[in-house]
Amino acid sequence: MDPRLEAYARLLVDCISPKPGWQVIVRSQPPGRPLVEEVSRELARRGARALVRLAFDGVGGIFVREAPLEVLGTLSDIERHEIETMDSYMAMLAPENTRAGSDVPAERLGLRQQALRTPHEPFLRDEKPWVGCYCATEAVAQDAGMTVHAFEDFLYGAVLIDWEALRQTMERIAERFDRAETVRIVGDGTDLTFSLAGRQGKIDALGANMPGGEVFYSPVEDSAEGVISYSEYPACYLGHEVPGVRLRFEQGRIVDASATGDEAFLVGTLDSDEGARRLGEFGIGCNPGIRRHMKNTLFDEKIEGTVHFAVGTGFPQLGGTNRSGIHWDMVKELRKGGRIEIDGEVVQESGTWRL
Amino acid sequence: MAAVDPRAAEYARLLVERCLGVQAGWQVLIRSQPAARPVIEELMRLIANRGAYPLLRMNFSLWPVDEVWAAEAPEELVGELSPIDVYASDHMDARVTMEAPDNTRGVFALTPERRALAKRGVAPFLRRTMAHEIPWVSCQFPTNALAQEAGMALEEFEDFFYTACLRDWDAESEAMKRLLERFDAANEVRIVGADTDLTVSIRGREGEIDDGRVNMPGGEFFYSPVEDSAEGTIYFDVPTELDGDAVDGIRLTLRGGRIEQATAEQGEDVLLAALEMDEGARFVGELGIGCNEGITRPARSILFDEKMGGTIHMAIGASYPHVGGKNKSTLHWDLVKDLRREGRIELDGEVVQENGTWLI
Repeated sequence: MDPRLEAYARLLVDCISPKPGWQVIVRSQPPGRPLVEEVSRELARRGARALVRLAFDGVGGIFVREAPLEVLGTLSDIERHEIETMDSYMAMLAPENTRAGSDVPAERLGLRQQALRTPHEPFLRDEKPWVGCYCATEAVAQDAGMTVHAFEDFLYGAVLIDWEALRQTMERIAERFDRAETVRIVGDGTDLTFSLAGRQGKIDALGANMPGGEVFYSPVEDSAEGVISYSEYPACYLGHEVPGVRLRFEQGRIVDASATGDEAFLVGTLDSDEGARRLGEFGIGCNPGIRRHMKNTLFDEKIEGTVHFAVGTGFPQLGGTNRSGIHWDMVKELRKGGRIEIDGEVVQESGTWRL
Repeated sequence: MAAVDPRAAEYARLLVERCLGVQAGWQVLIRSQPAARPVIEELMRLIANRGAYPLLRMNFSLWPVDEVWAAEAPEELVGELSPIDVYASDHMDARVTMEAPDNTRGVFALTPERRALAKRGVAPFLRRTMAHEIPWVSCQFPTNALAQEAGMALEEFEDFFYTACLRDWDAESEAMKRLLERFDAANEVRIVGADTDLTVSIRGREGEIDDGRVNMPGGEFFYSPVEDSAEGTIYFDVPTELDGDAVDGIRLTLRGGRIEQATAEQGEDVLLAALEMDEGARFVGELGIGCNEGITRPARSILFDEKMGGTIHMAIGASYPHVGGKNKSTLHWDLVKDLRREGRIELDGEVVQENGTWLI
């Protein structure tokens, strides 16, 4: 067995720090077997329960396609009880096809996500720990433009790092942004300002994402002004890949949205509810193990030298008040001539910190 | 993607419509393994279409046991079902158990002590289905592992499998009812065959038919015989297994209902250990008559073998309370006797089946 797999499983369990007797739901898909088994074993060793729930799809499986709408919009008693009483969950994505579910009508997907949101709130509020990660499957490697063996090297390079050192670096960055009033992002086709006044950031190191490696905020909801062009990378969400997204903000709201492809999905998603046209997150990628974009948000948003903004729901525990059924992270490359300013001072240029 | 075998769709429909009769609003647990994907997806589609909730409990091991976890978890957790799974067990309206192993020997070898603990932990999950409080069905999906166990190529096994399952179950039901009436009216059953002459009383006991409901394939009717009545010797010529250990050529001699002598040509140690499990393990919990003419050869799978037309089976261990059985045991091990070449069944002295052919 690859010893890196065992180390990865240990790290994932570290992310939730289970107490003896905890009921930990382990969600994955059949190709995730090696990692799922390692994680189950690690949970057993720490005296916690591993309740494995495999599915064939991450989102939008048969139930979402076929159930009558009134059934789809409600949770069964058993499912609600499980989500409400689990102590933690680990979402270990292992798709056979990363586009699975992309053909499900947004309305159906939205109903299911809405039904799931309420019982998951303690996790969104950080009252209960969870972790999301990927297994090294063929499909994930393919999306990243790699063979599965190359992807494993990449994956372990991003996760088996010195998390304590990275935590300290990120604490220093967060400390500077915590004092910020106005942040300005300048780059290709981009000049966007927004306020972080009164908002505290959070760093992700051995937290809810593996790999972690970001500092993130919920910006003041009505503050964003200007334009951002995601000209370098497509915006990926729910199996869609939207190239050339350009968003113009006035008083925090997106007043103009365009894309060079699949624009209908972009606009449709932004129109899915009132909160979908406002920012829920501003994040700063800090993981030195991730150098290239690979159309996988979990990794891409952590690339050192990038920032990302999510349209949609914000983080209540970070003071965010925006609410939406969506949370779509889009990644902006700053390593080629971009910069970040805090209250007029340049703090990062072409991806290099000047703190 | 290859087209789904139309028989798989028909099979799923049978499970949802006949075996469970799924109603709107029901919470239907589907307990299975990844290899069953074509039927699982069809089940989920049919259940969702009926306005019910398909709740998939899929793992590499068969839920609620996780063999990899159970090998190393604290014993007190292994021996007790998690509260989340207890809740699901107590609130489900129906369940399908569909085995689809990649390897019939399991996922991870547990020590006998750990296996026993895990079994004890699962008991609360089995309680409601054993008591027939809710509709349930146990079945399989034709995987390579099951085909290999049956000694067949996959395509050959699929033909065997669907021939056994996709039957005119209403007609099968009628035929079995006629036989059941004769048995219900009888006091003593005698089984005669190669190395076999055994009598057992079913006086005062009523049988039950499985006409494709709690098992798929169905095709048997069964009794819990009077506990202290079995007398004589029986030789079980259909190979069997217990928890993955092969056992073949079992010979049992019973007096006053109790197994007094037991030998096996293969796996005798497994047999003897099973009989020592508890006192009830030495008594007969079930006498079943196989009636499924679609099953003409054993498949080393009890689900199929016990239904084979022209065979009978006896389970040693736990009996069924709902048909008057009183024997208690953690064991319930079905052993199959083939009567087709040389054998007969007598009811109160009258020959009712000879060499596998009914005379009534």
